[in-house]
Amino acid sequence: MPPKSIALIGAGGIGSPAALALCEAGVRDLLVVDEDRVELSNLHRQLWFEQEDVGSHKTEAFARRLGDRYPGTRVVAVDDRALPHNVLGIMARASVVLDATDNYASRFLLADAAHLAAVPIVHAAAVRWQATVMATAARGKPCYRCLFEDLPAGPVVDCATAGVAPPVCGVAGAIAADRVLRILAGDLTAFAHIVTYDGIADRLRSVPVAPRKDCPLCGSKPKIGNISRSRYTGGVCGV
Amino acid sequence: MSVIVRIPTPLRGHTGGQDEVTVDAGTLAEVLDALDGAHPGIKSKLVDEKGVRRFVNIFVGDEDIRFMDGLGTAVADGDEISIIPAIAGG
Repeated sequence: MPPKSIALIGAGGIGSPAALALCEAGVRDLLVVDEDRVELSNLHRQLWFEQEDVGSHKTEAFARRLGDRYPGTRVVAVDDRALPHNVLGIMARASVVLDATDNYASRFLLADAAHLAAVPIVHAAAVRWQATVMATAARGKPCYRCLFEDLPAGPVVDCATAGVAPPVCGVAGAIAADRVLRILAGDLTAFAHIVTYDGIADRLRSVPVAPRKDCPLCGSKPKIGNISRSRYTGGVCGV
Repeated sequence: MSVIVRIPTPLRGHTGGQDEVTVDAGTLAEVLDALDGAHPGIKSKLVDEKGVRRFVNIFVGDEDIRFMDGLGTAVADGDEISIIPAIAGG
């Protein structure tokens, strides 16, 4: 194991199966970051939580259950959200970041912070029956902003109404864990692709992604050199 | 040219649940026009006055149209068009 932790940002529908896959593969050092409490509506896809956990801090229940199943595992629970004021501190403790967050602002924040801190990152997302996973090397390109540029402007479908199918979260979590393990193994083929999964058509694709010269994060003249709060306002969960 | 457009699940509300739609077009712009003609409203989810929306990616086969000719990208008979929007749930 590397000296730093795998930082799992988001202990929800994707973070849960990702942690299972990572621990089954031998990972024994996790930093889990989430500010939410367990809700009844989480239980159908967030497999570490039981009904008795409803109302508890997610990270607390997550760490306890992981510790029970994998004795000797160090799970550091951070009952907070990754925000501009603390994100670089999280990066400093991470060997790889797994972004399993549920909103665009967090995704762009993590992408920027990981790049600035030279930490590899895996972004995994799911909504309805679709999932995407993309990994970026430390200071690598293409990055998340090469593909998605910036927070969506204008109305987007809210995740709370769109919903997400639990098996799709499982697929996204498993692929994300696979990418983390490949990064730890030094496998460069983990990068420069986005994996898309369509749970209705049962279609899994890996699409090559090219770096963008004018990317504000990893391009030839980067504009993002620090973490500025104003850059992450707006944009809510959804598509 | 007859091309297949793969519709991501967040946009299938516009296509009556269809996961792929076949249209006749010669360029990507014509693909989107034909798609919108058959399924009104879908184009506005993909492009705005500046072009393809910044959180949407469109691929012809495996090629990102950003690195081709954008909306002017030519399509060939049998091409598959993939739409990959940013998603953030989990």
